[in-house]
Amino acid sequence: MSIKVKTIVRQGKSLQERLYLIEVFKGMAVTFRHFLRNFLDNSKLYVRHYPEVKPEITPRWRGRHRLTTHEDGSMKCVACFMCQTNCPAKCIQIEAGERTDGRTEKVPVKFDIDLLECIYCGYCVEACPKDAIRMDTGIFSVTGYKRESMLMTMDDLLATKGAFSEEEYKKGGA
Amino acid sequence: MTSLDILLIIVRVAFGAFVPLCFVAVCVWMERRGAAFFQDRSGPNRANIMGFRAGGLIQNLADAVKLFFKEDIIPGHIKHKFYFVLAPMIVCVTALVSFAVVPFADTLVLGDREYVMQAIPMDIGILWFLAIAGFAVYGIILAGWSSHNKYGVLGGLRSAAQVISYEIPMGLAIISLLVVYGTVNLSEMAQFQGQLLFGFIPMWGVLLQPLGVIIFIIAAFAEANRTPFDLAEGESEIVAGYHVEYSGMKFTIFFMGEYVAMFTSSAIIVTLYFGGYQIPWFNTATLLKFAVPVALLVMAAVPVIGKFVAAWIRKNNVSHYDRENDPRVREANVYIKIVWGLVILVEAIFFLYLVFASGGAADHILVALLQVCTFLAKTTFMCFVYVWVRWTLPRFRYDQLQKLGWNILLPLSLLNIFVTSAIVVALS
Repeated sequence: MSIKVKTIVRQGKSLQERLYLIEVFKGMAVTFRHFLRNFLDNSKLYVRHYPEVKPEITPRWRGRHRLTTHEDGSMKCVACFMCQTNCPAKCIQIEAGERTDGRTEKVPVKFDIDLLECIYCGYCVEACPKDAIRMDTGIFSVTGYKRESMLMTMDDLLATKGAFSEEEYKKGGA
Repeated sequence: MTSLDILLIIVRVAFGAFVPLCFVAVCVWMERRGAAFFQDRSGPNRANIMGFRAGGLIQNLADAVKLFFKEDIIPGHIKHKFYFVLAPMIVCVTALVSFAVVPFADTLVLGDREYVMQAIPMDIGILWFLAIAGFAVYGIILAGWSSHNKYGVLGGLRSAAQVISYEIPMGLAIISLLVVYGTVNLSEMAQFQGQLLFGFIPMWGVLLQPLGVIIFIIAAFAEANRTPFDLAEGESEIVAGYHVEYSGMKFTIFFMGEYVAMFTSSAIIVTLYFGGYQIPWFNTATLLKFAVPVALLVMAAVPVIGKFVAAWIRKNNVSHYDRENDPRVREANVYIKIVWGLVILVEAIFFLYLVFASGGAADHILVALLQVCTFLAKTTFMCFVYVWVRWTLPRFRYDQLQKLGWNILLPLSLLNIFVTSAIVVALS
């Protein structure tokens, strides 16, 4: 048994290719066809007119975070610190307090995510035992005029709604 | 010296000085939008003034404003500040001055006076171009050296070696051209190309010197430091080459110089090989003889062209997504009105010419204007070829560049001289 040897055919040795000019003109014909097509009808450009036309985001896409709630509007988060412990960028800051509505014992009184630190790895979502934090808002463009505006507080995180239906989100493999 | 003499001197010098500068804007615009269209993207199309984008030309204004207000830095490690500042000036001024000998219309005859339509009416023509274009590389070398920077020096060295290698085939290609034309004066060369070969083919340099034109164009690309020969600023290897330490207005002057050089060498290529200002089959004498029919022909053609341009604007100046009260349609309406306004203006000028001024001096001026338009159209197309080649061919490796220059172009241009001389001697 010998080793399989695949002989690669070397290109560029024929006279026509060695003359170079003919190949140059062929290449120029190709680029000129593209130019002419786009010049005569610029609706054929392969571009998305971005700020006006947004790209489609799939449910699996990891966007900005949000905190989920029960049907009655109370927080699902139980301040177990799993996400904060698991976060490789150390961008989550939680302070726990006592819960008074009787669902569980603890609830966060402060839940900050520093988006300047966040690397959007999604480990917080994976770590959460209560499905309390998700990254399904579909927000992919995170900008701000000040550093302070990049700090998501608990109210910001609760106010953001998910961009997908529950079935779609579950289908995405969550 | 009459006031007409003074006026014509002003017109010619203004043409020689401002047209290359105006073409910087056109070339940059053509480069950016052209590059985008070659690559199936749309290029700069957002910058606007009151919603008018002028097809992306407003982006040039924005760029210019940015460059004007940037800090002009001279790094502290630079010892020879004078040379550092001088270098971009050399690049830009040589490029501008070498355009001065290019004729943009046939010799204008007004009354009993003749006016050579060059910015500097002199006889040395192509020699002036060779001398000045060769001098431009001093700016690049000086910039690289005075930057006191490895990348700068490497860029300058590469540029020097490249220009030395490619000046020789360029000069030899011109020699065989001189054998054909029998003159170094660019005006006379352009007049020569107004003749007809066998009575029906325009006697352009490209037909008399098919090998020479290829050699000359390749060498001109190398001289202008354009892709595929832009090793002097190969950004993947030496960052930005000779202008790596330049910023603000000094960089702008380099940038402008590069585009002026591109325009000038386009103009030279057109003048030497593509008939200069000559309209094919209509040399100056024929145009003067048939001035009235030509004027009528132009009057008939202009509205047709206007209609096509208007249809093209209507089709392409729209938003390609759902948008209420599309502002681009309103923009297009204004552009179409401008196009028709220009059509009416041209028609009115030709009408007034036909009614009042037909025959006499106005004929000569009309012919000169037509030739200027032809010259500018040809040169614009040649600039487009520069852009076209840039976005088609990848950059040469350095040894390939030298091999092409010395092993291929030099023997070919020598062969071209022998063949051309033999044919010229045999025919005479």
